[in-house]
Amino acid sequence: MPCIYICGECGAENEIKPKEPIKCKDCTYRIMYKKRTDRMIQFEAR
Amino acid sequence: MSNNSSLKSPYQSGSMDDLYDESKLTDHIKPIEEKWKLVPAFLKCRGLVKQHIDSFNFFINVEMKKIVKANEKLTTEVDPAFYAKFTEIQVGMPALTEENYESVSMTPQKCRLRDMTYSAPITVNLEYVRGKQIVGRKNVVIGRIPIMLRSSNCVLTNKSHEQLANLGECPLDPGGYFIVRGNEKVILNHEQLSKNRIIIETDAKGVPCSTVTSSTHERKSRTSIIMKHGKLYLKHNTFAEDIPVVIFLKGMGVETDQEVVQLVGSEEIFLDAIASSLEECNKCKVHTQTQALDYLGARIKSIRKPWGMSKKSKSEEAKDILAGVVLNHVPVRRYNFRLKVIYVALMIRRIIIATKDRSTLDDKDYYGNKRLELSGQLISLLFEDLFKKFLAELKKATDQAILKPNRAMVFDFASIIRTETLTNGFVHAISSGQWNLKRFKMERSGVTQVLSRLSFISALGMMTRIQSQFEKTRKISGPRSLQPSQWGMLCPSDTPEGEACGLVKNFAQMTHVTTDEPEGPLLRLAYNLGVQDILLITGEELNSRTAFLVFLNGQIIGIHNSPTLFVNTLRKMRRAGRIREFISICKNEAHKTVSIACDGGRLCRPMIIVENGRPRVQQFHIEELKDGLRTFDDFIREGLIEYLDVNEENDSFLAWNESAVNKTTTHMEIEPFTLLGCVSALIPYPHHNQSPRNTYQCAMGKQAIGAIAYNQLSRIDTLLYLLVYPQRPMCQTRTLELVNYVKLPAGHNATVAVMSYSGYDIEDALVMNKASLDRGFGRCIVFKKQVSAVKKYANQTADRIIPPNAETSRQPKFALLDEDGIAKPGELAQKGQILINKYSPINTVDIVANSDKIPDSGYKSSYTAYKYENPAFVDKVMLTTGDDDQLLIKLLMRSTRRPELGDKFSSRHGQKGVCGIIVKQEDMPFTDLGICPDIIMNPHGFPSRMTIGKMIELLAGKAGVLRGGFGYGTCFGGDKVEDISKVLISKGFSYGGKDYVTSGVTGEPLQCFIFFGPIFYQKLKHMVMDKMHARARGPTVTLTRQPTEGRARGGGLRLGEMERDCLIGYGASALIMERLMISSDRFTVYACKKCGFLGYEGWCQYCKSTLQVSTLQIPYACKLLFQELQAMNIVPKLKLEDA
Repeated sequence: MPCIYICGECGAENEIKPKEPIKCKDCTYRIMYKKRTDRMIQFEAR
Repeated sequence: MSNNSSLKSPYQSGSMDDLYDESKLTDHIKPIEEKWKLVPAFLKCRGLVKQHIDSFNFFINVEMKKIVKANEKLTTEVDPAFYAKFTEIQVGMPALTEENYESVSMTPQKCRLRDMTYSAPITVNLEYVRGKQIVGRKNVVIGRIPIMLRSSNCVLTNKSHEQLANLGECPLDPGGYFIVRGNEKVILNHEQLSKNRIIIETDAKGVPCSTVTSSTHERKSRTSIIMKHGKLYLKHNTFAEDIPVVIFLKGMGVETDQEVVQLVGSEEIFLDAIASSLEECNKCKVHTQTQALDYLGARIKSIRKPWGMSKKSKSEEAKDILAGVVLNHVPVRRYNFRLKVIYVALMIRRIIIATKDRSTLDDKDYYGNKRLELSGQLISLLFEDLFKKFLAELKKATDQAILKPNRAMVFDFASIIRTETLTNGFVHAISSGQWNLKRFKMERSGVTQVLSRLSFISALGMMTRIQSQFEKTRKISGPRSLQPSQWGMLCPSDTPEGEACGLVKNFAQMTHVTTDEPEGPLLRLAYNLGVQDILLITGEELNSRTAFLVFLNGQIIGIHNSPTLFVNTLRKMRRAGRIREFISICKNEAHKTVSIACDGGRLCRPMIIVENGRPRVQQFHIEELKDGLRTFDDFIREGLIEYLDVNEENDSFLAWNESAVNKTTTHMEIEPFTLLGCVSALIPYPHHNQSPRNTYQCAMGKQAIGAIAYNQLSRIDTLLYLLVYPQRPMCQTRTLELVNYVKLPAGHNATVAVMSYSGYDIEDALVMNKASLDRGFGRCIVFKKQVSAVKKYANQTADRIIPPNAETSRQPKFALLDEDGIAKPGELAQKGQILINKYSPINTVDIVANSDKIPDSGYKSSYTAYKYENPAFVDKVMLTTGDDDQLLIKLLMRSTRRPELGDKFSSRHGQKGVCGIIVKQEDMPFTDLGICPDIIMNPHGFPSRMTIGKMIELLAGKAGVLRGGFGYGTCFGGDKVEDISKVLISKGFSYGGKDYVTSGVTGEPLQCFIFFGPIFYQKLKHMVMDKMHARARGPTVTLTRQPTEGRARGGGLRLGEMERDCLIGYGASALIMERLMISSDRFTVYACKKCGFLGYEGWCQYCKSTLQVSTLQIPYACKLLFQELQAMNIVPKLKLEDA
């Protein structure tokens, strides 16, 4: 299952397929960010 | 009432005014309140990096068009009917053409993230022959040029803060740099000796000589007139030997000795000095111009000319050299040498004067003799070179296309234009910093540098930096020392220590660098104002007592008999705005010259004009400025303020404040504190510090961790340090506000107790409060970048990123990976864990039919792993396509650090120290108000350092805290200690800043009062975590088998030569043995006692015997040396003796 990425411009969720240029389907922006992990992250508060 | 005053000020002119204004010349001038408001007004219209932007704009809008104009026509010998002409050139806005030919505007932030070049297309209008027609084409792209941020062609210019924020750009970012392949590159300012000026200096023997470096678009050459045995000679590298100067003059048509003498000067001293030179000319039997040219022709250095090039005789060649090569900046039209003759005569005259009066020698370090080469000029040279290369390539392609037999299609010139030459040429030069322009005999490297983004101030400091052309290794003090003429132009404090000391300089706050301006109007004006044309003047008139030579940009244009009137009129015209404000006019009484300069690269700064002992800027002007009714340009336009360059400063009387103004004063400083640069403006009360401390702080302020820009969290830099809770300093300076440091600060206001505590505070170490650190004091974030490009190869294969399979996903190494084979943001990465699970094809050469069908075995793993010791969180994962349509993955790794033992801190007074001990708050001393210090500083830091500014900073800060405002420690101004003390007293504190303190350990009151208050502390980038390193055993270098070097490679700790010397001196031979061999690269060798060669396992191959072979231990490097020597046919032999 392919991952979902967030467009750096409009925030739309995109799928990226291998060998395809990175381009937002909504705004044609070319920078995508990965979504944050859904695993629990523990921080050491010191 | 005074009616008899002869000097009438404009305010006393009418009788009505006398009723209201009783001021007289002798009256004390009231200081203008809040005069410093002019500084922000100046910075608003000029800015700190304006010189970069101005010079780049000048190139784009003026210089570029001139270069194209000069090379506009392209013809070919193959087809005389063909021509192509570039009628117009323009640079567009930065934009990118996508695959569907849609133009998308580029922003700098996009370029940074996508590793692209922030560049704009260069388009030309063409006119050329196609078939039998002349056709015109408009907007043909010939290449792309990187655009300087905030220049006229940048998307950021004239944008509001909100608009800038929407573009992802920090509104406070100064601009003035380029973005090339995602890197921010600055073209540094270069300082040079000014061209086309006569410089009188002494040669190696201490004899005066005069030198001119002529520089025109066509040629650069250096001409000197030297004195040897009392005779004058011309030295130039086109002549094989030194030419007697009189022969040179005769070659230019001055045939009679009388004329020579008249040109140089007919006074006794000149006669005496030149007599022997005249005599020598006679001895050489040179009497006429023809004879002189023959003499010169015989001495031309033979340069191998291409075959059949020159059919000229030697003497004609000599004439051409005299006209076009020697002193080539002096124009010679149709062999009219008059101007050059006068120029040479002047050079001779100056030498003779200098032999009699050494004070007339020029000072090479004098800043009026310097010119700055800015980014625009360097880019302009680059463009000219690339454009000519581009034209040459075009011509070649045209020739080929025309010569091609049976052309099916009509040759269309526009179709053969290739954009790569210009685009790649620019990108390569700026990204590598190598300016190799053969056409201009220029080979410079290190022209560009990566913009340092350590802190906001370091980026700003880099933009104002000036590099000198002098060699760093030479031990010369002249160019390094502070020159009085640098006052107000260059920062006296901001220079590095060590080898580049004094060679790297920084601009002061109000410095402006000029750009070239047209000479034509000035020349016409000068003649209209009574300058007599030099070509109409005889030698006798030239050197008459009243005549002043008038120079325009180093060129003699004529003489004037009443220079003061001339200079004053010109200056008045400048103030009235009739000529440009950056034109400098100055009179030199000693040389009897008037110099007008409108060339580029001069340093200048604005000054308030003072007339009749009154500054023209009045209080109401400042009030209007404050109300926004006036801008800085209005002050210039109305002639209240004018720009002075170094030379004109030398011809003016400058007062540094109102009280220093007297009758002779011509100008007054706007604000004295502007003599400092923007980095040294960080220091509060710098005028109370010992000078080197300010210099140290200038170096350290650039290493302080803090906020970098408003867009700091959306940047993905290789390394980025940020402070978690940056604070604005309690004691600030006016400049700090002007450069926006208060909006992007780098440090904390630490409550400091100046006292001794434990023994862990010796040698500037600091005692820190553990509770403060828990609260976030000195806490910083470190961002590191991990990049991986998914490449496509020429054989249709490509890298691939795959998720871990069922088997590998259980291994901790693959734990971070998501379903796409890339780590997810938010995860904690440990050393060795894979972030991007990339595989590359093994075969990238042979063409593969179907790249999808390559088996897994056809790929090798080329993953990116987290390689650092300390774990970090994945902050961001960015995917994009770069310049070459390849997938680019950038991971931003974040780790937060709290201060630990050994981290470096510094106040703003060059007082650095490391954290020596972290003490629990319970054990810290506290005052009667229960205030506990964040930092305890050892008082021994004060006496030898003499940083009184730090003490006053504490006082001003403390008063500010109590009063609820900021303290001001502006240079030459700021809050006075007396006033601060009054505030302290009124708030119930001691006037001296000392408090009653109870010991936290014993609970007893301390026996003395403690100097206690806030001081701004910076955390510096040097942290123990990045440096800590130890090694017992570890990797070795394969070649020498010695331990590797450096922390990154787990290297050893070197026992260097000096340490070795100590051990030898002490006689610790066993220790030397252990350190240098046993613990390093011990190796057992077999040496033959008989032949001295190394053998093999007890066998000597040379003697073919085992009898004399003995075993011994030597360093492997030693064995290697023997073998390398043998390979070079040198025989090293070991002589073995019994120990």
